[in-house]
Amino acid sequence: MGRRVCVVGVGLSDGPKTPDMTPMMLQAQSFRRALDDAGLQKNDIQGVATAGYAPMHEAQTCEYLGIHPSWLESTSVGGSSSEFHVLAAYRAIEAGDVDTVALIYGNTQLSTSGRSLGTGMAMGLSGPSAYEMPTGMTLVGAYAIAAKRHMHQYGTTSEQLASIAVQTREHAGRNPHAMYRDPITIDDVLSSRLIADPLHKLDCCVVSDGGCCVILTTEDRARDLERKKLVYVRGAAGASDHHSVQAMPDLTTTAGAVSGPKAFAEAGIKPSDVDMFAMYDSFTYTVLVNLEDLGFCAKGEGGPFAASGALRLGGALPTNTDGGGLSATHPGMRGLYLQCEAVRQLRGEAGVSQVEGAEIAVAHGSGGWLSTYGTVVFGTEPAR
Amino acid sequence: MTEFFVPKHIVPRITPDAAEFFAGTVREELRIQQCDTCGLHHHYPRMLCPHCGAETLHWVTASGRGVVHSYTVIRQNGVPPFNEQLPMIVALVDLEEPGARMLANLARIEPEAVEVDLEVTAVFRPASDEYSFVDFRPAVSA
Repeated sequence: MGRRVCVVGVGLSDGPKTPDMTPMMLQAQSFRRALDDAGLQKNDIQGVATAGYAPMHEAQTCEYLGIHPSWLESTSVGGSSSEFHVLAAYRAIEAGDVDTVALIYGNTQLSTSGRSLGTGMAMGLSGPSAYEMPTGMTLVGAYAIAAKRHMHQYGTTSEQLASIAVQTREHAGRNPHAMYRDPITIDDVLSSRLIADPLHKLDCCVVSDGGCCVILTTEDRARDLERKKLVYVRGAAGASDHHSVQAMPDLTTTAGAVSGPKAFAEAGIKPSDVDMFAMYDSFTYTVLVNLEDLGFCAKGEGGPFAASGALRLGGALPTNTDGGGLSATHPGMRGLYLQCEAVRQLRGEAGVSQVEGAEIAVAHGSGGWLSTYGTVVFGTEPAR
Repeated sequence: MTEFFVPKHIVPRITPDAAEFFAGTVREELRIQQCDTCGLHHHYPRMLCPHCGAETLHWVTASGRGVVHSYTVIRQNGVPPFNEQLPMIVALVDLEEPGARMLANLARIEPEAVEVDLEVTAVFRPASDEYSFVDFRPAVSA
């Protein structure tokens, strides 16, 4: 039996708009805040996991931070990268390869690229994207074509998708750092312009700047630090099933249907045990289909389940209580923010957004265009 | 004032594994691979069958007939030349040949008229001497 693994530090950088910061500065700021949160110094960090956009990004990051780690992880699968990083770090700590690992991300997507809603960047002209990009397909379009099929197959409606944006905005209203806080209605979503049918502007995540850091260590080390309520990693899993849209095995089921149940099984939990869900809400459809894939409702029932108000504070499954990517912050890859919010809830530090008595929280990252999924189950008690 | 070159089309990079597909488009033939081992087809071209993993692939000319599995209407795309061509209909088309699915533009149809399960047929739109885009139009004209 391996060692138990805990989260001991979380840190968020300034945001959601930081025109005078570089991605490296945002990483460093969040790293410092996570160290302070944990009561650690930089040289306590023996391992680093990070995904970025520069060559040898992980080595550049460590150099900038002035640390010399003996364990590195840089799986780069878009928005689920950070959940894959937890999976690797969790196993390495469990096995005794390393004691303390910092997961770091930072990007200035808003200040660098502007608000293009995933429609301003050219996808590659070599590899699988070469067969899709010349059609004018966009990132939003890839999610839209899947949502359209879900509607056809299960009768999912634009109103049900919109209800996800509305409930997420309610959460954002309680987060002073959220990009958009004013309440919206289903009609507001439906009357915002179509970006790629059936997805409207308000079905799409925001674009922001921001950095985030999470520090994992052994249960013993976490106890010695005596800083915070312990939060355990109870289970983690990842899965990938396509890159290009034409290779999706099923437009209405994601690889989350593999990673979710696998992580839940390791954690020894059922979907009904989850008190709070931190879901990568790149688009409203991403949330809807993953409510099904993780078993919070039956396949095809994501629309009615979401529209019932389940995602609200006090609902059946409070989801993205920080306002999510749809309203609060989305600096390119949001996977670490999911973990920060899950930990904040389990520590009871979420203030007016607190899910009372939260003991199990799930962070579920989505990468690419419904391509790669990583699920992490956190708990206030260990799984074993 | 600097003038930037804006291409009329964005064309894929032609790689050796896909040369036959691209050459076929110029001849107005939709060339796809079929696996001798499992019998299934696929697109885009590869070294191994993505269905069963075998190396036993040969080229066939697809009929060009298929049905729309799903679609979207791209109404915002900031990348030239697409920003001048909106809205664009992008569909996933299941070819008649089992196993093969393509992402392509739908032509000669209004966005409002598209629906899942629409029967379509391939048409070729020249992009260069080396490549023609494979679009699909309704099999039965409205």
